Amino acid sequence: GAMRSRSEVDATLQTAKLNPAELMPVVQCLSFTPQAGSGECCLLQLEPGLCAELEAGRSLVIRGEKDEQAVLCSKDKTYDVKIADTSNMLLFVPGCKTPDELNADQASCNIIHSQIAGFSNNYWELRRCRPKLKKLRKLLMEDPYEGPDSQKDQTLTFSKYTTEDLLSLIQASEEEIMHQLEVIDACKIEGYWRILEFDYEMKLLNHVTQLIDSESWSLNKVPLRTCLEELGCLEPTEMIEQILLSYGRKYIDDGEVYFEMREDKICRAIAQMLLQNAVKFNLSEFQEVWQQSVPEGMTTRLDQLKGLALVDKSSRPETIFLLKVEDLPENNQERFNSLFSIREKWTEGDIAPYIQDLCAEKQTVGALLTKYARSSMQNGVKVYNSRRPIS
Amino acid sequence: EAAPLPCSGGAGGLAQWVLVELQGEVEPRQSGGLGGSLLGDLHYTREGVPVLIVGHHILYGKVVQLEKPFAVLVKQGAAEPGPVGPHTRYAVTALIKTKLLFKTRPKPIITNVPKKV
Repeated sequence: GAMRSRSEVDATLQTAKLNPAELMPVVQCLSFTPQAGSGECCLLQLEPGLCAELEAGRSLVIRGEKDEQAVLCSKDKTYDVKIADTSNMLLFVPGCKTPDELNADQASCNIIHSQIAGFSNNYWELRRCRPKLKKLRKLLMEDPYEGPDSQKDQTLTFSKYTTEDLLSLIQASEEEIMHQLEVIDACKIEGYWRILEFDYEMKLLNHVTQLIDSESWSLNKVPLRTCLEELGCLEPTEMIEQILLSYGRKYIDDGEVYFEMREDKICRAIAQMLLQNAVKFNLSEFQEVWQQSVPEGMTTRLDQLKGLALVDKSSRPETIFLLKVEDLPENNQERFNSLFSIREKWTEGDIAPYIQDLCAEKQTVGALLTKYARSSMQNGVKVYNSRRPIS
Repeated sequence: EAAPLPCSGGAGGLAQWVLVELQGEVEPRQSGGLGGSLLGDLHYTREGVPVLIVGHHILYGKVVQLEKPFAVLVKQGAAEPGPVGPHTRYAVTALIKTKLLFKTRPKPIITNVPKKV
């Protein structure tokens, strides 16, 4: 149809008994584009920070396989996506002017024809969530690196992932993925991200700790150059350097690269090596063997094993067994179900290392316990158990 | 599957659109849907209050700065049902920071007023 004219607008004003003198001179006649009802446009509600990111030219990415619930990622955050319905109708109008804009615009026209590009009664709502990183470890564990002598690596396997592969498969932002790769000590070998197979990792660590011992180096000043010279004949130099990076803190002194060895991490790894050989151990026997197994100068402490092993103080004698937090479910309810099926009642101190990673941005372990567990007193100590019967 | 949301925007960056929020539904005057049809006239009072004349109704509203702005996404390529599918691609076409909220009950316009004799 023909566009409305100013005189038609004025006639409508008169019929409506509106006084033109009380109105701004410019009218905007709104009509729908032919494609307005096609549903091709939709609205995404932006959490704080995302608007600025879009305006800065950065992009957002939707990630998720068919069997996964979609998430939206900025460069450093991950959000769950849900559809929110509204009882109102939302029209999106490209050229629509606000009163401020009309005041500022000294145009001489008194009629603007604006087109409504689309409309909706729902929009996408975002909620910041924890990045879904368990899959990252799972993918890299499909084919752990066992060293250059391993026969496995000679054959072509498809269980190897580049950075691009991981970005398209993991429901997390790029920064969160890169940070997690660092946390799990992944390294790039021939362009692919790999996790070292545990026995191979311990073999490398053992080379280094033996060398430290034979050279009588301080644990805080392990020279990179000498390590590569002495051990390069046994293992690839990249692997020697990788193990030093994983288990030490790099620094430069007088132009030379040194490592300050990380006592807690080394003791923890050696504990894992000992504990993985049986279902559980006599605690005091374990502690003795453990202390003897770590490098000279290092002291073992049970708190080094948080999230790795659990002590059973109720058994006589007391025992200890391997329980790795990374082997537990990622979903909150499933995690708690799993923990309560392992042990009926937990103290906060025992359970905290196994739920710490579930905490959302400002959430505490206490808040999680309030939500997913029930507390009671046992022998004067506060313990937590499941809210529901565990099958 | 990762679907990036590329931004279309001229030299000035992303376009800024405005949201118009109406209570209830808008029904087309003639059959055939809303596409191509007129919604109404949008005026502002001198104080900046939006006044929308839709059909035989006057709607009064207010200008609201959105606490959480919207991005307008446009589906690209093959259209698949559902908001997110493995092969659905979207582009960010505009940002919306302002809405005109019409929540007051519409005042009907009485068109047949008997003339005083």
